[in-house]
Amino acid sequence: MKLQHYLGGLEGLGRINFEKRVFVQPWEKRIFGIHVAMMALSQHLETAKVTPTKFKSVWTWANLRKLAEGMNPFDYFKYRYYEKWLGGISSFFIESGYVSTIELDAKTEIFLEKSNTSLPHNSKPEIDAQVIEYLRVGDSPKCNADIKPKFSVGDIVTIKNPLPTEHCKLPGYLRNKKGVVDVVYEGVYNYPLQTGDGVGDPMPIYSIKFDSHEIWGNLTEPKTWIYADIYEAYIENPI
Amino acid sequence: MNESSREAYNAARIKALESLLIEKGIITSETVDQVIDFFEKDMGPFNGAKIVAKAWVDPDFKQRLLEDTPSAIAQMNLPRGMAGAEGEHMKAVENTPDVHNLIVCTLCSCYPWPVLGLPPYWFKDPTFRARAIREPRKVLKEFGLDIPETTEVRVWDTSAQIRWFVIPERPAGTEGWTEEQLATVVTPEAMQGAAKVQVPTSI
Repeated sequence: MKLQHYLGGLEGLGRINFEKRVFVQPWEKRIFGIHVAMMALSQHLETAKVTPTKFKSVWTWANLRKLAEGMNPFDYFKYRYYEKWLGGISSFFIESGYVSTIELDAKTEIFLEKSNTSLPHNSKPEIDAQVIEYLRVGDSPKCNADIKPKFSVGDIVTIKNPLPTEHCKLPGYLRNKKGVVDVVYEGVYNYPLQTGDGVGDPMPIYSIKFDSHEIWGNLTEPKTWIYADIYEAYIENPI
Repeated sequence: MNESSREAYNAARIKALESLLIEKGIITSETVDQVIDFFEKDMGPFNGAKIVAKAWVDPDFKQRLLEDTPSAIAQMNLPRGMAGAEGEHMKAVENTPDVHNLIVCTLCSCYPWPVLGLPPYWFKDPTFRARAIREPRKVLKEFGLDIPETTEVRVWDTSAQIRWFVIPERPAGTEGWTEEQLATVVTPEAMQGAAKVQVPTSI
């Protein structure tokens, strides 16, 4: 099992940091902006293919998640949210051959010594236009395919317990649990990559309702329900 | 590494990365600034606040918003792109005296960008993600919300493609307010079910 898949329900954690800011350090905005640019320039998008960028890879949330789920689980909790992004995205650019460790380290040294050194200048309005257009248009996973949902509203279903993969869309606490189909979402949805545990090709998605008492057993909170959106590949008829 | 050298290293590291990506023609010198600007001016919690305020004053709109969230939002005069990145499939749920909804993403940090902007740190906090799904009433109590035992609590785990947000309860003392006035009191926390909408005493 992978701890990152089983975060929901972990006990003994103490109080939550009710920090309402989105970014707690100015640099965090920069890594967020780079990630958005990568998603906008990802080569699975037709509009990105004709944009004059040197970025020639596919980059989606699924790629970022795969890196986060691939981390040593104890390290996962040592780093702040955007620190994980910085680590993951830097390694991606190094491993894909866009930059070398040597040049990244050398540049880091320069900026450490002189933090006011300015960024290089390179203007290409088509790249910026594509990034903003991507944000306005999005990248919907909904697709046209003649696939009928296997389950209907009111069905009692069991959540499967597939082997752990590099990237998983199933919250761990729901494995082997019974729930009731609350909504069958209209249409079918693909996923940017094959997760290896069934998700990837177009399939229906359901809202499944679970009784918190059945999930947690020891729950002392009354009248509490969990609604989770689950891909059909993770659902089976009750055993 | 101590805290300040850790942040100084992170700041230098990201600047080094951005600088190399510009030099290599992957992005431009303006790309990152434009993205930041987009979330400060076009897509942020100010959009969600306008949607909630309209739902409070217009029951027909609220009904449409609950039934078909994207088409209801599309009828409003908001920036182009309300069904854009991370808003492709949004759904609204309503808090009432009988039902309190709380949104969490236990696997990551999925959030409806066009209506709420980017997720605040508490929403991304692994402790919130771990606890909200198991003991929402206790978590909400720590956040200052006492949910009566007679009120049902629904926790929504954003584990697939839908991005959820909450229409909070309209606070008492706002009778006769205009939509514009109402929008000023709606917070991102209230639109995820982690807070009630408060009316400042000075108004």
